[in-house]
Amino acid sequence: MIWRELILPVIVVLAALGIGAYVVAVLDRLIAGTLGMPQTGSAWQAPLARGAWLLTQTANATEAPDWRAWRLAPALYLALAATGLAVVPWSETLVATDLATSVVLWGSVEALATVVIFLHGWSANALFALIGAYRYVALGLSYILVSMFVLIGVALPAESLQFTQVVVSQAELWNVIRQPLGLPLLLIVGLGMTFWGPLNLADSADLAGGTASEVSGPPRLVWDLARAAMLVAFSGVAASAFLGGWLGPWLPGPLWLVLKMLAVLAMLLLLGRLLPRLPPERCVILMWVVLLPLAFVDLVWAGAAAL
Amino acid sequence: MSHGIGVDISFFLLAALAVYTGWRVFCTDSMVRASFFLLLSFIAVGAIMILLTAEYLGVAMFFMMAVEMMVMALFMVMFMMNPAGLNPMKMVHQERAAIVAGVIAFTVLSAVAVFSGFPDAPLPAKHAPVVSLGLEMLGDSMLIFESAAIVLLATMIGVVVLSSHRGRYGAADVGSMPPGLAPDGEPAGQPQNEDEDDDEGGGHAHHH
Amino acid sequence: MHGEAVLRQLALAPGIERVDSPRHASVLLVAGGIPPYLHEELRRVHDQLPQPCATLWFRSEPLLGLESATRIDELDDLPRALIVLHRELMSGRRGSSPRLLPDQPPNPWEGLGDFGQGGEGMMGGTPYGRPMAMNMHDDIRDGLTLDSLTFRLGPFFPALPPGMKAEITLQGDLIQTWSTQLVPYPVSLDAVFLDALQRPVPIAELELARAREHLHRLFHGLRLAGLERLGRQALQLANTLTLDSRVDGLRRRLVRCGFFRLSLSGRGRLTEEQARKIGGFAARATGLDDDLRSEDAHYRRLGFTPVTQAAGDTRARWQQTLAEIEQSLVLAKQAVGQDLHTSETGSVETPHGPWTDRRPEDASRLLGDLLPGLEWGEALATIASLDLAAVSEWPLEAWAAAPRVASHEARRA
Repeated sequence: MIWRELILPVIVVLAALGIGAYVVAVLDRLIAGTLGMPQTGSAWQAPLARGAWLLTQTANATEAPDWRAWRLAPALYLALAATGLAVVPWSETLVATDLATSVVLWGSVEALATVVIFLHGWSANALFALIGAYRYVALGLSYILVSMFVLIGVALPAESLQFTQVVVSQAELWNVIRQPLGLPLLLIVGLGMTFWGPLNLADSADLAGGTASEVSGPPRLVWDLARAAMLVAFSGVAASAFLGGWLGPWLPGPLWLVLKMLAVLAMLLLLGRLLPRLPPERCVILMWVVLLPLAFVDLVWAGAAAL
Repeated sequence: MSHGIGVDISFFLLAALAVYTGWRVFCTDSMVRASFFLLLSFIAVGAIMILLTAEYLGVAMFFMMAVEMMVMALFMVMFMMNPAGLNPMKMVHQERAAIVAGVIAFTVLSAVAVFSGFPDAPLPAKHAPVVSLGLEMLGDSMLIFESAAIVLLATMIGVVVLSSHRGRYGAADVGSMPPGLAPDGEPAGQPQNEDEDDDEGGGHAHHH
Repeated sequence: MHGEAVLRQLALAPGIERVDSPRHASVLLVAGGIPPYLHEELRRVHDQLPQPCATLWFRSEPLLGLESATRIDELDDLPRALIVLHRELMSGRRGSSPRLLPDQPPNPWEGLGDFGQGGEGMMGGTPYGRPMAMNMHDDIRDGLTLDSLTFRLGPFFPALPPGMKAEITLQGDLIQTWSTQLVPYPVSLDAVFLDALQRPVPIAELELARAREHLHRLFHGLRLAGLERLGRQALQLANTLTLDSRVDGLRRRLVRCGFFRLSLSGRGRLTEEQARKIGGFAARATGLDDDLRSEDAHYRRLGFTPVTQAAGDTRARWQQTLAEIEQSLVLAKQAVGQDLHTSETGSVETPHGPWTDRRPEDASRLLGDLLPGLEWGEALATIASLDLAAVSEWPLEAWAAAPRVASHEARRA
């Protein structure tokens, strides 16, 4: 009882968090190496070496920061990633929390991520971190509606707000085919949520690192870890919502999910390496003028198909 | 209705957190901190709602309040001339009236909670909170919800139109003027004196 | 060779990561001498490095208090030295560099009022000696007046030209005012441009040097746009530039990844007067066809006519840059076939503008007119697409008088 309800879910989530974040770092390096960036040492060791390096550094101070918020924000972002991973079903029975409203819970993880990232930039009491934080809020408020519509779209055929039901509803046809607009839209949301690659407005090079520009040492390690973990959580959600989750022949369910998550991760990391960063204003216009109407179309499509 | 000791402990912890963070809202010296303490308070209340098996409402509280508090903090900081809300400032005013109103509201609500008789209806065996909420909203109460939704939508569209750059009478940043009531007449509905930029809404706020 | 060149050398060295914020670095590399008036700023950058940190001085005199720091003079040894320094720091074999400045706020706390807000009423006052952002400027974007925030940036900010310092007022992330306080260091050109002033030089050599300069600028622009991979390709192309090099591949990749359409905007447009003042490719991207090469008989024999763009914005300048690289390569190839030298001496069209009786001058003061109204990212992209620094009277290899740049590097295994 206690094993099934408390210990097993915690182990599953923590393992996915740790291994997943490490895999993201390795995968990113492998992709960079394939694209012709020079690499030293093995891609498998480099993330560990980086982690060790950050642990040897001291955490610096800025002038009059909001200490509690500044130190808590990376940990809270990591906690949100863990919450996201907790609702991802690994198989029909292996789910950390099989909440009846897990799709909505993921929606609130997305909304709370905006708060946490803003807090991370704001509390440093430094210029670039603050601009990064404001930029992220503009981005976050823009993608959140797109995300909601897309997720409601996958809940319609399942007639449930539960990720397990969403996966079960894809037994005959995956949502990626049933709702062709959904996955591309959700991938853009994913890039926004982890501010990765073209949507890295919050921690960008023109802000000398944005919200993380004043962070060094262990807090920076936690922040990097949390971003990678959030990417993993997002890939789990995208794989469950659109790629049929654990469904698949021959292999056991969890393995199928891992493969699908890896595919989503590879796609996101590749996009991150290939595309230039969008200017914030253009990004917001794109979200409201192009993506939001497309998300409407996706929802109407899903509704018509469900009828 | 049976529940474990864990639920009781969680309830008391969450209730204490909700009250404590709610109180901190009035003690802190920064708008951003105040907003996010309020958010923490709401999250604790949302979690209590989940304990009460109002799962959907509880989770909806998380994301509604997250977005709401974020927007509130952002707009306060943008307009209130306090760089990022990090310079300390006094966060309360008209304390006396607020204290009186707060005490009265607390007494009334507590009285309702203590003295009214609540129905002792046990949960049905197959309780499905999302389904029952959906039936409630789209069943008997559909008319109310739908009319409220349309009013809200109309309000939102109206606000966007009023505050948009392209106003009814021209672009906002060139100083838009409504047409006169007679051909070539004075602009209609304009105050005659100098300070015309009080609070006409976003579309008129800017004059060179 | 100077700081920028050191940076480019390190950009291609594996195992070295260049970071944008001193908070992310372990090793501070100072390349070239730093003039005394910037020592205070350098101390401030140094103290922002999280401990344990170390400094490496490349052809430079360490600051007071850092006498024991490592010094190095050979460019080829630099990557190795950085890696060794970082490894020693990480394994604890080397102590951290000492702090140079006291760790205290730049201004004393001036807490007044009930809440330490520094003044009367709810707000107001000047805590920490800095006024609160209450002086509202009219917003220049959409009439929504926000808080304005004034700060100084530079002279070691990586996205600005080295040595440049500016005082900037932002509203949101929109630039309200920009005043350049210190102009960037003059840049040194390849010696062939200076030789061309004295005597005829081979056109092929001149044009290859020009293409190389443009590719170096492209490297910085692409890195800022988040396209580090393509920036590195541009740099590699510059290092291995021959008569047979082509930029088609680079151009195709830039178009495909959306550099022109997604990343750049039609902002940062120069007026004709500004374009004339900046000169060079920026002027030609604005539609002016000023190019000293058209006055050279031998260039005319090669059928040279200046390439121009009409728009004059950031996008047009990068398109112009690519077009000029292509043109230079074509000219170089034709010139080598006919073994042509320049026919004019006393004037030369440098990559930074025309050099007749005077060197191309600094144009960074123009930013005060050009940048207000742009978003922060757009403004930096605009600066990256322009060549604002003056040209130094010394060629690139003259070590003794090399211009001075500092850059910080973090390395990880």
